[in-house]
Amino acid sequence: MVATTCKDFLNHVEAWIGGEHHPDANAHFRNCPACRSLVEDLNAIRSEARSWTAEEAEPSPRVWNSLRLQLEQDGLIHEAAKTEPAPVTTGWLSGWFRALPRPALAGAYLAVLIAAAFALSRPIDRRINEARWLEGTQVFTFPLSAQLDTEQNAAYSLRNSDPAVTASLHQNLAIVDNYITLCEKSVREEPQNEMARDYLYEAYQQKADLLAQMTERGEAIQ
Amino acid sequence: MNTSDFVPDQMWNGNWKAMGLIVPSLLLCSIAAGATPPRRQEQHFKVEAHPVVTIHNPNGMITVKAWTKSEVMIISNRASDDVEVDAEQMGNRVDVSTHANSDNVSPENMRADYQINVPEDAELQIHNDSGEVNVTNVLGDMNVETVAAGVDLEDAAGYLTVKTVGGSFQCLRCAGRIEASSISGNFRLWDLHSYHVHAQTSTGNILFSGEFLPNGLYHLKNYSGVIEVRFSPGDSFDLSATSLKGKVNNEASLTPKAHQQHFYSKFGNSLFGTFNAGRAKVELTSFDGTINILKRD
Repeated sequence: MVATTCKDFLNHVEAWIGGEHHPDANAHFRNCPACRSLVEDLNAIRSEARSWTAEEAEPSPRVWNSLRLQLEQDGLIHEAAKTEPAPVTTGWLSGWFRALPRPALAGAYLAVLIAAAFALSRPIDRRINEARWLEGTQVFTFPLSAQLDTEQNAAYSLRNSDPAVTASLHQNLAIVDNYITLCEKSVREEPQNEMARDYLYEAYQQKADLLAQMTERGEAIQ
Repeated sequence: MNTSDFVPDQMWNGNWKAMGLIVPSLLLCSIAAGATPPRRQEQHFKVEAHPVVTIHNPNGMITVKAWTKSEVMIISNRASDDVEVDAEQMGNRVDVSTHANSDNVSPENMRADYQINVPEDAELQIHNDSGEVNVTNVLGDMNVETVAAGVDLEDAAGYLTVKTVGGSFQCLRCAGRIEASSISGNFRLWDLHSYHVHAQTSTGNILFSGEFLPNGLYHLKNYSGVIEVRFSPGDSFDLSATSLKGKVNNEASLTPKAHQQHFYSKFGNSLFGTFNAGRAKVELTSFDGTINILKRD
């Protein structure tokens, strides 16, 4: 697997959680806070789910009684079930599971599954969405940033130019660089924030304009 | 059409005898010096309606004023003999530029100041890296680009585009359409009558005080710094103000909007609403600057 982008990583996140750590994925994982955060969340959910199955908790008699009452009221269990109390020692759900009609049991089970899936999927969806937003932004900004860095690092012959102009260009380039850093941080923190993304794109645009002006003048950028 | 003439700086007021000696001496000197033109130069160009004047200068003070004549007058003043001023007419366009005479010109010598008079319907294109640009009473379209030079427009109209890197921009009693951008320049848009204003500076402040015309669009944006908008009770506008990390201070009694707000609203500090009938549209955006919406005094 070659995992160089968040998308690639997400496509193989299951394998990652299962313990398959490919070197490319490892490299991406180390450098991508969004994917690290996603994996942390998934691991947390996984361990929580394990603890649920391991515990097999005994419900209190009060919970069982109120549940049985509710099921009786709904007509899902009958008087006969009451006369044969469930042996709680074999598992807290086994008694009323036996008493429930199968379609009702299936429906209830399905409803619980859907609710659990919905509850668990929200943070995962959020993380995945954020990672996708971040990736979408980075798809545009990485090449642009690399190109601008190359441009910035290129050496230009220094002509006799007005010191005020040179100072202004360099000072404003520093301002834009700082502005880009802050916008990037903001986008990483809130990948879905369109305003932060807009500001980041504009900052790159400004830097490109500025570098073009400096190149035209033959200014030494460094 | 070019009625160019040269006016020396020093006015002579001696007597005829002295003139008899000095004039031949001056002529000899000028021949010996390769007939270098005087540093102060005045040129006149007859033009028709809506002339275009372009000025390209690396450094200096450019002052442009409108007058009633169908003529463009250019008075230039070079800082040294190392630079040359070219002014030529092509049809209804007059091009003015400053350029070096040699490859080795010091920055302080690479300077020229201009005083230019144009018909009021003239279109201007000015490029001046450092120094100042002042334009008064010109009603034609205008494009001004600078690096460090400040730009000061008064009673201008038409389509005004101003772009600076670090220079400030002031527009006093301007009308028409204004588009201004800068990285660190401050903007002062005062007593405006413009129907379209788009002003964007990264770290500069933006001060806007003027009429919000019906159907007008006013978009002020910065990264940091202060955006301050002054309104009067009779104004009518639809407002959206968002600062992602900064504050929004408001003195306008706004009617909340019924429909769902802009997507920016869930991030940062936002304010949306309508003032009076909401005829104009006002959008104020900052990243971590402060936005002030204040009553005009």
